Amino acid sequence: MKASVYRICILAFLCLLNACAANGVREVTQSKQLPRQAELTNTPFFPQELYQCGPAALATALNAVDIQVTPEQLTPEVYIPSRQGSLQIEMLAAARRHGAIAVMIPPKLESVLQEVVAGNVVVVMQNLGFSWAPSWHYAVVVGFDLNRELLWLRSGTFKRFEMSLSAFQRTWARSESWAFVALPPGKLPATAMADDVAKALVAFEKHATTSARTIAYQSAVERWPTHLVLLMGLGNSAYKAGDMPAAARAFQQAIAAHPDAAPAYNNLANVLLVQKQAQQANNIAEKGLAVVGNDEKVRQQLLQTLAEINDYQNQHSQ
Amino acid sequence: MIIVKRFLSALLATSILFTGSIQAVQAAMISTEQVAESAITAKGEQDRAKIVSMLSRDEVQSELVARGIDPMEAKSRVAALTDDEASSLASQLDNAPAGGIIGAIVLIFLVLLLTDILGFTKIFPFTRSIR
Repeated sequence: MKASVYRICILAFLCLLNACAANGVREVTQSKQLPRQAELTNTPFFPQELYQCGPAALATALNAVDIQVTPEQLTPEVYIPSRQGSLQIEMLAAARRHGAIAVMIPPKLESVLQEVVAGNVVVVMQNLGFSWAPSWHYAVVVGFDLNRELLWLRSGTFKRFEMSLSAFQRTWARSESWAFVALPPGKLPATAMADDVAKALVAFEKHATTSARTIAYQSAVERWPTHLVLLMGLGNSAYKAGDMPAAARAFQQAIAAHPDAAPAYNNLANVLLVQKQAQQANNIAEKGLAVVGNDEKVRQQLLQTLAEINDYQNQHSQ
Repeated sequence: MIIVKRFLSALLATSILFTGSIQAVQAAMISTEQVAESAITAKGEQDRAKIVSMLSRDEVQSELVARGIDPMEAKSRVAALTDDEASSLASQLDNAPAGGIIGAIVLIFLVLLLTDILGFTKIFPFTRSIR
């Protein structure tokens, strides 16, 4: 008896959650920050082949930022024939592989529209079916009209698919409002949080050229000048590019903002050693050891740095 | 499933190769990835602490008891959340309006229910585990 009461309670809650799904629409239609209408009419269009909305949507987003690639080229990278679809994680990975930074944006309708206003098309995942009989679909949001409460997508075989904001919100919410923008290095999404950008850049740098990596971190640090991961990324990119003064500046900036960030001390010490300032390098590494706390891995790395500094000093004192 | 496994093993293999080559070039530099991982872990810890402090509030405790959830169990379940889960839960708490704490509790309630059904936990007497 008690059990069935519980079950009814849960059902009631789930219904409540469902009823809220198309929220957010009123928020954006009454928004004062958004223009009433925007559309990126120059966005290219690649009509999808059977089931292959993933490659088509990705090609649309990449060509929109002047990365020339066709859906046919992307198909082997993102399409899984047995699943007749593309995995979300592979969509992000493939965008990176072609030189774009793929950043997840906050799961809010307002964020999608703000990106469009900023000139960035947004790749979204929708469930056009029901939660219990899903029909997953990737599409690209290219414009909206708040007065008519609708938005436009490059979707499937439709070049300018019109969808009401509330229908979009419902179908999109079923993918937990999954959306990303693909941007060239040096550009940042209008809405993403610092941590999401940092995550995207760490993934991006594995495939990026030295200059692309530096440009990408540089632009992110300009917006978030005290973010530890971004500053470390900027310093490490400069180090790899052989620009020691820039690397030192970035690590010093990291230390100034995060006096207990032992990895920043470690890397600054390494840079100073390359610059042949062994005594200073030694001091900085010692400071790092003082703040390392209980991070055993970083402690070992600092000890290794100190050993290298020691070797250098021994060689040069003879 | 096989494809996922194959993908993961390829990913693992390449990442091992990558770390190998990077370490050979610069022995003592700490990578951005390592810093990012520990920064994200630290954030997960903060998020968990935030959820536990929310759960410790009196009105929340009585809500939990009213729903038949042992508050101590709920706390130990929070400790078991992954960093991602903890942060999504914490952001739900952040976005909840001042009086909306009940919604957040319901969320935890649902997480617990799901893990019950999956057989990871056994908090609700009425669920039948699928394994």
